[in-house]
Amino acid sequence: MQQTTTEKTVPIPGLRRDKTVKKSVIWADRLADRIITIGGILVIVAVLGILVFLTVETLPLFRSGQTTGQFRYQLHDPPPVILGAGMDEYHTLTYMLLPDGRIRVFHTRTGYEMNPLHISADGAAITASADSMDQESLALGFSDGTIRIAATSFDMSVIPESDLPSGLTKIDDVDQTDGDTVFSRITGDQYRLIRFRATVEEPIPSSPTGQPITNLAFQSSGEAERQTRALVSLDKSGYLSMNRVQEKVNLMTGIKKTEIEDIRLPPLPKDIRISVIRLSELVDTLLVACEDGRLFRYNLQNTATPVLAETTRVLPAGQTLTVCEYLLGSQSLLVGGSDGSLNLFFTIIEPQMGTADKRVMVKAREFTPMTAPVVRISAATRGKTFAQSTTAGSIRVAHATSQKTLLTMEPQTPSPPLALLLAPRMDGVFYLSQSGEASLVQFSTPHPETSFQTLFQRVWYEGYTEPTFTWQSSGASDSFEPKLSLIPLIFGSVKAAMYSLLFAVPIALLAAIYTSEFVHPKIRDILKPIMEIMASLPSVVLGFVAALVLAPVVENWIAAILLSFILIPVIMLTGSLFWQFIPLHLTARHGGIFRVIGAMLLLFVMAGITILLTPGFEAFFFQGDFKSWLTGNTGDALPFLFLILLPVSALITGLFYSRFVNTWLMTIYGRNSLLAASVMDVGKWVFLSVMTMGVSFLMARIMSRYGFDLRGSLVGTYVQRNTLVVGFAMGFAVIPIIYTIAEDALNSVPNHLRAASLGCGATQWQTTIYVVLPAALSGVFSAVMIGLGRAVGETMIVVMAAGNTPLIDLNIFNGLRALSATIAVELPEAVKDGTLYRVLFLSGLVLFAMTFVINTVAEVVRLRFRKRAAQL
Amino acid sequence: MIGILMIAAFLILIVWNGLITFYPKQIEVIHLNSGKVMAGEPIRTESFKIDPQTLQKLPTSVREAIKTGDVHASRTLYKTGNFDLYNEDYRWVTAFDIKRSDTPPEMVIVERSEWGPFIGTITQLELGEETIVDPAAIFSRLPDAHREANNRRDAIQRLERNEIGGINHLMEKARLDLRRVTLKGDMTLATLQAAQQKHDRIISDLQKRYQELEHQADIMKAEDERFRIALADVENRTKTLKLSGIVRIYPANTLSEWQKLGIYFSRWWEFLTAEPREANTEGGVMPAIFGTFTMTLLMVIVVTPFGVMAALYLREYAKQGRLVSLVRICVNNLAGVPSIVYGVFGLGFFAYTVGGIMDSVLFPERLPNPTFGTGGILWAALTLALLTVPVVIVATEEALAAVPHSLREGSLACGASRWQTIKYVVLPKAMPGIMTGLILAMARGAGEVAPLMLVGVVKLAPELPIDGIFPFLHVERSFMHLAFHIFDVGFQSRNSEAGKPMVFVTTLLLISLIAIMNASAIYIRNRLKRRYLSGHF
Repeated sequence: MQQTTTEKTVPIPGLRRDKTVKKSVIWADRLADRIITIGGILVIVAVLGILVFLTVETLPLFRSGQTTGQFRYQLHDPPPVILGAGMDEYHTLTYMLLPDGRIRVFHTRTGYEMNPLHISADGAAITASADSMDQESLALGFSDGTIRIAATSFDMSVIPESDLPSGLTKIDDVDQTDGDTVFSRITGDQYRLIRFRATVEEPIPSSPTGQPITNLAFQSSGEAERQTRALVSLDKSGYLSMNRVQEKVNLMTGIKKTEIEDIRLPPLPKDIRISVIRLSELVDTLLVACEDGRLFRYNLQNTATPVLAETTRVLPAGQTLTVCEYLLGSQSLLVGGSDGSLNLFFTIIEPQMGTADKRVMVKAREFTPMTAPVVRISAATRGKTFAQSTTAGSIRVAHATSQKTLLTMEPQTPSPPLALLLAPRMDGVFYLSQSGEASLVQFSTPHPETSFQTLFQRVWYEGYTEPTFTWQSSGASDSFEPKLSLIPLIFGSVKAAMYSLLFAVPIALLAAIYTSEFVHPKIRDILKPIMEIMASLPSVVLGFVAALVLAPVVENWIAAILLSFILIPVIMLTGSLFWQFIPLHLTARHGGIFRVIGAMLLLFVMAGITILLTPGFEAFFFQGDFKSWLTGNTGDALPFLFLILLPVSALITGLFYSRFVNTWLMTIYGRNSLLAASVMDVGKWVFLSVMTMGVSFLMARIMSRYGFDLRGSLVGTYVQRNTLVVGFAMGFAVIPIIYTIAEDALNSVPNHLRAASLGCGATQWQTTIYVVLPAALSGVFSAVMIGLGRAVGETMIVVMAAGNTPLIDLNIFNGLRALSATIAVELPEAVKDGTLYRVLFLSGLVLFAMTFVINTVAEVVRLRFRKRAAQL
Repeated sequence: MIGILMIAAFLILIVWNGLITFYPKQIEVIHLNSGKVMAGEPIRTESFKIDPQTLQKLPTSVREAIKTGDVHASRTLYKTGNFDLYNEDYRWVTAFDIKRSDTPPEMVIVERSEWGPFIGTITQLELGEETIVDPAAIFSRLPDAHREANNRRDAIQRLERNEIGGINHLMEKARLDLRRVTLKGDMTLATLQAAQQKHDRIISDLQKRYQELEHQADIMKAEDERFRIALADVENRTKTLKLSGIVRIYPANTLSEWQKLGIYFSRWWEFLTAEPREANTEGGVMPAIFGTFTMTLLMVIVVTPFGVMAALYLREYAKQGRLVSLVRICVNNLAGVPSIVYGVFGLGFFAYTVGGIMDSVLFPERLPNPTFGTGGILWAALTLALLTVPVVIVATEEALAAVPHSLREGSLACGASRWQTIKYVVLPKAMPGIMTGLILAMARGAGEVAPLMLVGVVKLAPELPIDGIFPFLHVERSFMHLAFHIFDVGFQSRNSEAGKPMVFVTTLLLISLIAIMNASAIYIRNRLKRRYLSGHF
């Protein structure tokens, strides 16, 4: 067959042959050249592009704000005082409330004056105002001692171009107006209508003496049918009163009923000059700040009996309070002093301080001081961003948690601020100075809340007693602040990887040594593919078995598993000890198979013994219940320390033995028969194990005497899906990888080394330990590294079996939350280009970097090993 | 050695649990000490530790018996079914609570298409006007009646899914056509009106047709309603349901071994060919098998040329210098990058960036609903292709390196061009290695879940990625995947106990699929090796 084909293709010599190459061949060659080169490079570029892409996606997290637009103009006829102001979310209209009841409305970008609104109050002037957190209503205090509540709103609607009324005045390129409403052109040939409305309700009498109200705090809550409003007012005589206004609409009749409840506040010292009063959003805290920096905190959780819970100082002596403002959620309070400092306070639970409600105000953060005192702060309605302005008119927009400065702006002429407004969408800030200089700066800050610090360092969040690493990406309420520290996740990944390696490395390496050094090559050829099949087991299967099958079993038999960790080596050693009693001619002939079978039998025997011993073991060491011992309620630290120290003390006694006793003993062995030597060996072993236990007990005793307890650090409360289970399952996934590479490395150690060592009279075990292993060490190391890389990035097992609690806790019996699991669980729900989305991309990048470093190290070591192995 | 024991134990666990799941069990009726009666299939028995409080409450004799056996007692998990009546379908029963248990012959298991199985007795059968109460007559009439009911159900389903579904599809298409015209921007009023009229016409036609079909379906459903079966549980609470709502019904305690085998295999058949029911915890996994298969196929189509090309470049074209060895380290490294990172990349780059651009260019009329701009089978396949490309590159490179240089030189000396040498000499010789790499990549792709969770796997896909509507292969659709099915059923369903059997069976299926792939990789490698060794050279 082959003969005939050769005949066909080989041309008969002597015949003239066409020497030109066919065009198509040349073209095909060139084309293939190009395509393969381009394709090849493309693949490599694409693969490396992952890194670039991930980096690009995460970069915006660290950027501060970028100015996108700036409008400056001189406002016509600036008022001397503004009591309240507001802006709509598209930066179209701004309103200013003036003491005479007039509300001036003007176009934010140009200052074009719209028709003003009037609030009539029977001739009384407005003396104070406060807006609620939702910025939909405004409380106004009047000179006759009454309070009225005004509902303010920017009404918005969208109409097509065809519905646009005629006769509009043009304001700028985008906007037109009819005097009340602004028509803004938006995409798709449509127009957005924006109009400001304000309506005032009936007066609520507040000051009993009819004195003008000087200070006001206001919050409203509840639905439209059952609105509750809380009002705190201070009149000119210094009288502080609190009212709770409840409006009930009878659903049957539709009649509105208003109930006003007067709440008696515990009195304040007489000699104070109150500067600011602030009411928290949930009306559970009232703060009264004095000019000299003293702060009185009322706890209103029990509405019938308010408590003056705490009196504290928020400023050093000699300074004047210039501004005091709540941030979103009414937990963090920003306080500015006359030296330009700005600090953030919140309450934490601290029973030791002796306050009435066991809470205390603490200074959590200091912001970089401004050159002049901060007099205005405008807090955002989404997130913890705020804008601040000094007496000189310098403006800074910053985020309270990340302390990131998003925007700074200096006025053309320094002048105290009249109004400072942060736009509802946090994309613009409006500033009006007393000289009438108005400016609107539009900016974009996609991720104000993230900085290197919030992602990787301890952050003191509201309500926490100390700065912590916290991962909590979503919460129930609107004012919830996502806490995105990557440290717990990285810790979780590393913890899972470490514990799984602790389990996998001994098994994998011993298995590799066993198959490469002690087993007949034929058996090795069977064993190795079986281990490799294990490598192709999908991790989801491992995870599911770990979580649904293994976890309950481990939970029930935890003490038995602990026992088996001790018993396996003991039994194996005992087994090998008794192996010596079998006559030499038998072991020499049937060694391999019998040894394997014997070892298997021993394992089963061990399992049996373990189950039998467990109750006794648990009773003896852990007062009968290991899990309740773990919680720390019963027993003391000694037993577990004793168990943990066993391997250490075994090592110590082993060293002691080989250093001082071994040679002497060997000479004695040599003088006796094999059987006698074996018996002596058993005796030696018993002696050594007793010694080990003794040493261990001694060390444990000493350590527990000095109050050293592993509970709370390495072990602790038991959780069903815990690191131990993850370690088992992930060990399963990692063992084959470590095994294969380590086995290859051991195998590639040239045989002449072994031959030389054995020839010098070394035993097989000595050869392995002193000759083969050192030669293959770098290969074995790279195997472990690659195993580590795989364990760090493993996803499904940790998703399913780790419990996903983001804790920083070494406890092996507690759960963890790994980077990979967090990505898998949270990324599908994350909003595209949102902060969480990018932070998860960053987690991906961190994971990528971690594994890349680990793998590169492993690869470099492996290449070096290969070179060295070739030289041997 | 422990390793091998572990694998063995693991595989036995999965195979055993997977295989016995579908085998029908006996129903035990248990009379409890408290006087209550319950019926169920025993699932498993375990011993557990009793807490002291419970122990105190027990009668003395029981307590003494337990104390001698070191405070462990045994309990059994029963599958009681009847979720709609009991609000639970599994119940633990402690051994000392049981007064007696027996297996009465009249107990039946009814697998329903909703609410899970029912365990109890049949009280009567309504077949149209006829009502049968006699148990013997019920059992003789039931198989035929059930078959007819199934036919009716299939007919209704066909009508609803194919025809009414087709009309819905056409209506959506008409709406999109209209939107596309309006989005074009430069249209005049006339064209707009024409498009609007056309749209209205089509819609009104379709609506008419839709109503007809719906009427037809209603008639069929009304007919179907007349065939019903009344059931009662052990406590004589009754339940009447449509005959067509029953998947399978059998008297568990009177079956012969052959009948049991029959049920066993029919359950396997259902598992492999039917669609999932009951939040995936029952029924089949056909869509998942199909999705896995299609996705893997797409992945291989993508990964083959690129992987082989890159390896050819690295081995045959590029200068072997420092750069190439650096690239090689990178590629080796990438094989070790966690799969979830590829998932993140796939979501961000393929689905959101590339898909987003494709949507805005190709399907502006469907926005804001994404077409390609969200996870789909194409993106999943591309992500996995990226994930497996290093595997293929490494395998191919090794195979190429194994081809002796003398062969290349010989070919080049004969006057063959570089491409000809590669095509006719190097590639055939390296084929076994390449094939192995590809199949290993497939095996990895089939078992990988983490990246897929981000780029297009869903727990229940409404449509298969291939169907009869043009262009037949819908690469933008989300799909189901066997490995994700395991995760979903085991961890995200209402009751993980109810899902467990399903998880084991799916696991068995997945593992055997992967084992088959691995085995075929080895087989192909050996076969090709032999062929090419004895072949041309």
